[in-house]
Amino acid sequence: MPTEHSWTELRRGAEDLRALLAFRRSGLTPVSRKRLRIGGGLVITLTVAAIALPAYLKEPLGRNVGDLVAIMPTFYLGFLVLSVLAAVSSGGGRELVPRDQAVAYPVSTVTEHLGALLLAPLNVAWLIQAWALLGSTTYIFGPHYLPAQVTPVLLWIVLSTAVGQVVGWAFEGIRRGPHGTWVARGITTAFGAGVLALVLTHTLTNVLDHSPTVRIYLAASYGGGADWGRWSAYVAVLLAMIAAAVLIGLLPARWALQRPQREELRLESGHHEPPPNPRSDLVAMVRLDRASVWRSVPLRRGLLVLGMMPGVVALGGALTWDLVTILPGLVASGGALLFGVNAWCLDGRGALWRDSLPTSPRISYLAKVVVLFEVLLVTGLITIALAAFRAGRPTAAELVSVLAALVVVAAQVVATSMRWSVTRPYASDMRSARATPAPPVVMAGYSARLAVKTTVVGLVFSATAIASTWLVPFLVAVPMLLWSAYRLARTESAWAEPLVRARVVAVVAS
Amino acid sequence: MSSSGGNEIERIHIRGLWVRFGSVEAVRGIDISAYAGRATALLGRNGAGKSTTMRVLAGVIPPTEGEVVVDGVDVRHDPLTVKRSTGFCPDVGGLVPRATPWEHLQLAARLRRMQGWELRAQDLLERFDLGAAAHRVTGGFSHGMGRRLSVVLAAFHEPSVLLLDEPFDGVDPLGVEATQRVISDAKDRGAAVLVSTHLRDLAMEACEDALVLRGGSAVAALGSEDLVGEDGARAYRALLD
Repeated sequence: MPTEHSWTELRRGAEDLRALLAFRRSGLTPVSRKRLRIGGGLVITLTVAAIALPAYLKEPLGRNVGDLVAIMPTFYLGFLVLSVLAAVSSGGGRELVPRDQAVAYPVSTVTEHLGALLLAPLNVAWLIQAWALLGSTTYIFGPHYLPAQVTPVLLWIVLSTAVGQVVGWAFEGIRRGPHGTWVARGITTAFGAGVLALVLTHTLTNVLDHSPTVRIYLAASYGGGADWGRWSAYVAVLLAMIAAAVLIGLLPARWALQRPQREELRLESGHHEPPPNPRSDLVAMVRLDRASVWRSVPLRRGLLVLGMMPGVVALGGALTWDLVTILPGLVASGGALLFGVNAWCLDGRGALWRDSLPTSPRISYLAKVVVLFEVLLVTGLITIALAAFRAGRPTAAELVSVLAALVVVAAQVVATSMRWSVTRPYASDMRSARATPAPPVVMAGYSARLAVKTTVVGLVFSATAIASTWLVPFLVAVPMLLWSAYRLARTESAWAEPLVRARVVAVVAS
Repeated sequence: MSSSGGNEIERIHIRGLWVRFGSVEAVRGIDISAYAGRATALLGRNGAGKSTTMRVLAGVIPPTEGEVVVDGVDVRHDPLTVKRSTGFCPDVGGLVPRATPWEHLQLAARLRRMQGWELRAQDLLERFDLGAAAHRVTGGFSHGMGRRLSVVLAAFHEPSVLLLDEPFDGVDPLGVEATQRVISDAKDRGAAVLVSTHLRDLAMEACEDALVLRGGSAVAALGSEDLVGEDGARAYRALLD
């Protein structure tokens, strides 16, 4: 690839990116623009708070940082792993403009790559981890030369994201190759087996202690200690690595995006043996929705990652039962973000036809609820089962707390998702591995709100896990479930309104 | 069910239909009558209100104002019964992307309480050259295949009112023939057929009556003979401006 040509491509890609961003912005209503400004302001405020507040924490909390210093390299490494997983599970990275809308425009792979990089932070897991990294660092070093301290950490966050994209595109390229699905599964299994071997041989801690990310910690310390010579050297190296990672990412992005989407094509051209005729209207509707979930590449892959990854983390970290209660909330939020927040996107352009069939709106609503609820329960159970390997034998209160947390957050997330699905529908065909059920900015807002809600519930059941009797978590769960049931019924009443239904159907089928 | 001046059974009766989406008036006070054993073409430019009218008749969009009676049932009061008596081929897509044609037919048969439907389903799929694709998900279909399957789904249960919105759009000549046959069969068994299309010649082959819409209002009701050939094209063109 001639260098001059590459620079031209890069410049054009950046210009096209600005045009696509303007295109997306033009589709926003005044209310959405206001929400976007508020959301952006909130993120900036929280970022500043995450940097400044821990730095100024003083007595009586003290500044006992010994244990924290020991895990900081692992913490930095964890962010890199998160970035890689996010890019891999989203088929290289999110789409700035959905494939079916962008098909008429010559969007280059450079623009796709830069767009995916730009969208990567629109993810509550990314944001929370970034805030945690920044806050932990400034907590250790205090308020001395704060900007200098956080600069290497901010650069590491950017570098991790860019490296994540490089790996994400490369993995997507492999997956799109001949037998790519099996090769990708082989790589994932080998990676999982490697982590498991480290856990079982008790060598994981030793490996993590030798993480090269200790240099990020050192760079931050040089900033805090006004050692400008070494600090400048580290910052320069990080900047160079970021530039290199962004540019290198162009190669696997082009390679991956020019390959055929074999898994999607296989699913669309494959033979699906017809099941026996359904015994009831609800079964018939549920069956079609279930097929819509499991035959969608992004949904299948997302659910697999959701079911396995938190469980693997729990395995590695040997979480105790009172902490396992947090996991179902993470899984449920993630599961809803795959399709639940816009449940009628499963029907796509078939929504009009489905709504013309002679059945009660309640049945079609209930079918979506059942499918979303079962998906969240199954993935949550997989996570809990994996966590159980190292969590020891639970007490009755711990067991009931974990199961109650699972059911309560699933019900809570389903109720919230169905409300959003009815009030804010979007057209999304969910065919591409990079597709999302709503625009990226909206998804960021949804993920933040779901994360807050489900974490609170997880913490409540974390507290009930140490109770002396299982009746405590049981009694706490009952009103929460009743509240979710009430919210589901309220949304169902809204869905039963012909005007509301017509609007949802018209939007998702457009 | 009411009757027209003669012995014809009026299956579609629309009087003063208005449909508003916020400040947008998609349909502005149209009247339509369609009779058993006859096909009516809905013609007009983009945005004339054809698809919205079809969706109201299918029970998918509630009318804002006016009287809409399908096969003797008021669509506002009993949309479920209206959905039982109509077969609807929507203008866009109309297919669940990750379900197969057979799964679409299974769902329709279940919800319409059809027994022993499999032979008719197979026959329709074969007639529309979709037999080999019966167990492939529709997301991988070409536009024409999707249109043909939408017509199959609309006609599958032999409805008394057949609503076809752009059934010929992007469809090959064999598919057009099969669609014309479906329309002809529906008329033979006493159904009223409403065909919305931009393809005037094809519409005139299939329909006896035509209604031209413009800006959400009906501007002319004609016999098909008035819109055939060069003279018909000129007359139609004049009605669009």
